[in-house]
Amino acid sequence: MTAPADPARSRAGRSLLASPAARYWLLIAPALLLMGVFYFYPIGRVLWMSVTVPAAGFDNYALLASSASIQRMLWTTARISVLTTVLTLLLAYIVAYALVHSSAKAQRWMFLGVLVPLWISVLVRAFAWFVLLRREGLINAALMATGVTDSPLNLIWNETGVMIGMVHYMLPLGILPIFSNMRDIDQRCIAAARGLGASRFEAFRRVFLPLSLPGVVGAGILVFIFSLGFFVTPALLGGGKTLMIAEYIKVQILEVVRWGVASMLAAVLLIVIGVLLAMLSRLVNLRKLFGAG
Amino acid sequence: MEKQSFAEDCGVLATEIGGGQTRRDLIRSALALGVAPAALALGSGAARAQAGKEVVLVNYGGVAMKAFDEAYVKPFAAQGGKLVLDGSGPLNGKILTMVQSRHVTWDICDAGITTLAELGPHNALEKIDYSIVDKTKLTPEFAYEEGVVNYMFSSVLAWDKSKISGEPTLADFFDTKKYPGRRMMRKDSQAMLELALIADGVPRDKLYPLDVKRAFAKIATIKKDLLFWSSGSESQSLMRDGECVMGLLWHTRANVLADETQGRVTYTFKDGLLQPGLWVVPKGNPAGKEAMRAIASMQQPEGQIKLLAAMGNGPSNPAADALVPPELKQKNPSDPANAAVQAKIDAAWYKANHSKTFQNFLDLISS
Repeated sequence: MTAPADPARSRAGRSLLASPAARYWLLIAPALLLMGVFYFYPIGRVLWMSVTVPAAGFDNYALLASSASIQRMLWTTARISVLTTVLTLLLAYIVAYALVHSSAKAQRWMFLGVLVPLWISVLVRAFAWFVLLRREGLINAALMATGVTDSPLNLIWNETGVMIGMVHYMLPLGILPIFSNMRDIDQRCIAAARGLGASRFEAFRRVFLPLSLPGVVGAGILVFIFSLGFFVTPALLGGGKTLMIAEYIKVQILEVVRWGVASMLAAVLLIVIGVLLAMLSRLVNLRKLFGAG
Repeated sequence: MEKQSFAEDCGVLATEIGGGQTRRDLIRSALALGVAPAALALGSGAARAQAGKEVVLVNYGGVAMKAFDEAYVKPFAAQGGKLVLDGSGPLNGKILTMVQSRHVTWDICDAGITTLAELGPHNALEKIDYSIVDKTKLTPEFAYEEGVVNYMFSSVLAWDKSKISGEPTLADFFDTKKYPGRRMMRKDSQAMLELALIADGVPRDKLYPLDVKRAFAKIATIKKDLLFWSSGSESQSLMRDGECVMGLLWHTRANVLADETQGRVTYTFKDGLLQPGLWVVPKGNPAGKEAMRAIASMQQPEGQIKLLAAMGNGPSNPAADALVPPELKQKNPSDPANAAVQAKIDAAWYKANHSKTFQNFLDLISS
């Protein structure tokens, strides 16, 4: 740097620009403040409440070990989330595979089919399923008219109904990460495998499938995390009998006002999701999965 | 799912009656459900409540706003008072949040027995001042320390005549051999336990203290044929669409069902459970004693009959019974003829037992 004309200004400028780290922190300070006040502080309060209401200590957390009711609810939540995830991944993989191997024009239409449901409210979709699945609904009417069954199938008001509704909701969330991963697979690898004598199935099983696994794992954890906190679909399609953690927390907060138990369960959910995300970040590039890269 | 209280359903139901019956009930109940968590944030109304001695009355919105306006706000204004309606829904959790943060903006809340049971122990409710609220203008057993009856409603047995022959009893509700088919009840232990016990042979006047074990066992016998509704509109659509052959639901919804299905779905008050809707006053309410004067004003029979005509809620003032027009009498749960064949809820039992029983009930139906 050449000698400056105004030494005073230069000194001030230099001290401000002295450390790149200081500039960096200064720039993100407003965002940090916002996050602190509106995100970390309330979450901290919730975590704090889980060890202070109604009395200080870990009594709320002890319920995890002692309350059969909470254990059953957690088990229901886990079971439905795992099943939803497995079914979603299976269907999403097929759709994503078809998407990757379609022409650009067909892809556009297929994407529309994937994305339109994503934009429709979860409530409207639950209602649509109600119309289709109920006793005198379209599906049962068709099955009985064609003589497939004599009496209506129980497709709704049970876990079957919940599963149908949830898998339908989760499909786009499964398809998109798997698709984005498959698109990046070098098709020449498969061609090479074929050239070296692998059958179509062998080339898929030993080359394409392993290459597409990071997308599957990413989609799986994403869908599983969404399923854990699901509220509307189980409540509407489960006939009141499918009690998952989100609804349980809501009952504790708004109805029986046991806020300590509610915040404990919220904290448990937060921790489980945090751990899952940490695992996910080791397996796949999170920034890419969520569209930042 | 957002478990809807009776008071909450009043607003929704009135909207549906007023707007003509549509087939979008499930969406409505669903919307209520989606909105509820967001509503956990405190409702507005703070600014209004600060000005003078305005009394803020909170209900669950909808056309109940209009019905309350006619039945309560105008008569109170004629007496020189000022009542402001707020439709943001006084759920237990919201009332408690307000009281604990010492920023109470509500004066009177449209609530029920379980509000007493859940909020009483938290010391979140004002005592009702019976030197202002007139005990002679209500049924004394529904005048509680921290809440006072505002209207009456019933949990009743309804059935689909196209699938059930004759007039079933509560015992038949639990007899899937005699009448096969799916049934529904409310996703709440309140009232459902009483009806299960009556079905099991307990006399109507000897229900309390409730034999919870016996009631649970009775419900468990038909669990696989049972659905559980959360909102009034859901109960209505399940019966209307033929998803259930019998159901235990609120009389207001049963009335509408009977009308809209031209009598295909019908109901009886016999062996129903008569329950009070309650006014409660959050601790430290802004208008102080003026809230009690507003409650006293709402005891007038004329307004209560307007509410019966608009929403089906039964008058709480016995003096209103004689003034009810004949065509409304059979739909009125507190009409002496209807009240005589029903059991009456006992709030004292709920104060001691509701929270735990409700938890166990949820546990029973979800296991």
